[in-house]
Amino acid sequence: MSERPGWDAAPPDVDLRGVWTAVAAQVWRRKPGPFERLAGWLLRSPGLARALVTTPSLLLGWIIATVVVLAAGAVATSRAGVPLVALLAPALAAAGIAYSYGPGIDPAWELTRSMAISDRMVLLVRALAVFGLNAALGLAASAASLSSGSGAAAAVTFGWLIPMTAICGLALAAATLAHSANVGVAAGLGGWAITVVAAGGSAGRLTALTDSSFVLPYLAFAACCGAVVVYATRIPRGMS
Amino acid sequence: MDDEELVARVAAGDDTALRELFRRHAPWLAARLRSVLSAADVEDVLQETFLAVWTGADRYRPESPPGAWIWGIARRQAALFLRRRGPAALLLPVVVAEDGQHASDPAEAAMSRAQITDAVTALGPEGSPDREVWQLMYVEDRPVSEVALLMGIPEGTVKSRAYRARRLLRAALGGRPATQGGSR
Amino acid sequence: MNVEIAGLTRRFGRNQAVAGVDLEAGPGVFGLLGPNGAGKTSLLRMMATVLPPSSGKMRLLGREPGSYGPRREIRRRLGYLPQNLGYYPSFTVVEFVEYFALLKEMPAARVPAAVAAAIERADLGDKARAKLRTLSGGMLRRVGIAQAIVNDPELLLLDEPTAGLDPEQRVAFRALLRNLGERATVVVSTHLVEDVGAACTEVALMNAGKIVFRGTPEQLTAKGEGHGVGDAPLERGYSAVLTEARS
Repeated sequence: MSERPGWDAAPPDVDLRGVWTAVAAQVWRRKPGPFERLAGWLLRSPGLARALVTTPSLLLGWIIATVVVLAAGAVATSRAGVPLVALLAPALAAAGIAYSYGPGIDPAWELTRSMAISDRMVLLVRALAVFGLNAALGLAASAASLSSGSGAAAAVTFGWLIPMTAICGLALAAATLAHSANVGVAAGLGGWAITVVAAGGSAGRLTALTDSSFVLPYLAFAACCGAVVVYATRIPRGMS
Repeated sequence: MDDEELVARVAAGDDTALRELFRRHAPWLAARLRSVLSAADVEDVLQETFLAVWTGADRYRPESPPGAWIWGIARRQAALFLRRRGPAALLLPVVVAEDGQHASDPAEAAMSRAQITDAVTALGPEGSPDREVWQLMYVEDRPVSEVALLMGIPEGTVKSRAYRARRLLRAALGGRPATQGGSR
Repeated sequence: MNVEIAGLTRRFGRNQAVAGVDLEAGPGVFGLLGPNGAGKTSLLRMMATVLPPSSGKMRLLGREPGSYGPRREIRRRLGYLPQNLGYYPSFTVVEFVEYFALLKEMPAARVPAAVAAAIERADLGDKARAKLRTLSGGMLRRVGIAQAIVNDPELLLLDEPTAGLDPEQRVAFRALLRNLGERATVVVSTHLVEDVGAACTEVALMNAGKIVFRGTPEQLTAKGEGHGVGDAPLERGYSAVLTEARS
């Protein structure tokens, strides 16, 4: 800017570049919406909140992740009666999300890996976004298809999307507590395994999971995870 | 692109138009303000000015050229700035000297100061012409030429307003009952 | 000393990308030259804490990046521009730079001013709110530079930063480098020899995973005395050192 004519008319001790930068900072600044601010407060990290909120806007990744997640959901809720299939479904979904938002599709993946906020935390948060938003859409689809009697949307939503959102919440809570995304993923998969085995054990088949009476416990589960994260991040995390 | 179009674009939310306006006008605005303000204050005033341009561009009316409009904003911002920073301590010796009396003890001085602060309200609300002249000429102790520049009025008008301000103030002070130990 | 490296190696399968590098660098602009495949990018990636070394010792900004806590501290003070940086097409320049400022855990209150300053320094002031999909290759490279400098890093790693920039922009960029090098350690990996001569206080030349020359640009030029290959003195020096290393 300073190379242009007219700039020399300014007094030499006045920092016009600095003034413009201060003006631009206000003019250009992006004000986060209420959901992002809430997420930033819950996650104690405005960066993770931004990663969460921008997940759907990375369109190609979003589409692929959603397709994979729904496909995995179909696998999980199929009445095959084999718990192993259900156990593998989250791994399939996780792999799909990691690919969509990781080295496969994320154009800035290499850069993301050099960030102070770990790339795995970003992926976890994105997984929560993928499942959460699809669960919300699934709820809408279930409500819409109530009249037509088709239970497919409800089956996938209540049997897979909502529980997986809760699982992601658990994983994120564990990861935040342990400062390790790996611990979070392990906790999430462990939680899923427990619910599948328990459900499979009581009814002998996976279909027990599609029973809507499981929704409330799952939601309570997610709420508890949220409370745990909030409490844990109240404690200062060592040196900043 | 001329300045009017730039202002219209700013009103429509175009930040590059604001950048161009800044590039064109900030240098000469800075030069003008520098004669009355310190460099740091010039920077603060310019920042507030252009933020005001950004938020208030829809209120621009083409009767005056954009340069004059922006200068008007800058001037008002500068005056606001000076007012906020104006040292009240200068009030006392200035007024007391005018009246030919000298406050000899701190208590009297404090009471005089309070009286003066009250009396100044007689000049009108903040921002009114007489008030502004008072602040710039007597509190800030600026020469008539600077006051004329800052207020955007001829020097003759400055002088007549200053005379009126002194008259009003003396009337306000003189009209007070001498209740506090004879200080005046 | 911002960078202290000793005996650093990195292999990918049977390929020894970095074959034992010793390096120390304080504030200043440090050029990393060498042909393709010399190991520059792998070395830079290790310094960016993106690639773990196979063996050797490394201290960055006085910390060892092997464990989570120090690595996070390093990364907060690090700026990195990878060789192939992709962009999120729907983001604006401000959104992109701000996103990475937040991921670097900059205090949220400081972010708007830092983003504005970085965008202006990268000369993208009139494109601040433009969507990335509307920008040219050179402008996108400058967006990459802006995100690298937004947190005022103490260690700045740039891999082929001038790719796509026209000569005028490269001159401006070199001025920016010199300015940054006053406080920080800036490591520029490039195959454009003239970039190095103009901006760098020190130069290292890599070949086949090792550093074969370390010194000032003038010393590299001196190596080229009497050497035939190369149009410019620095290029001749470059060519002379490589020839010697390969023989």
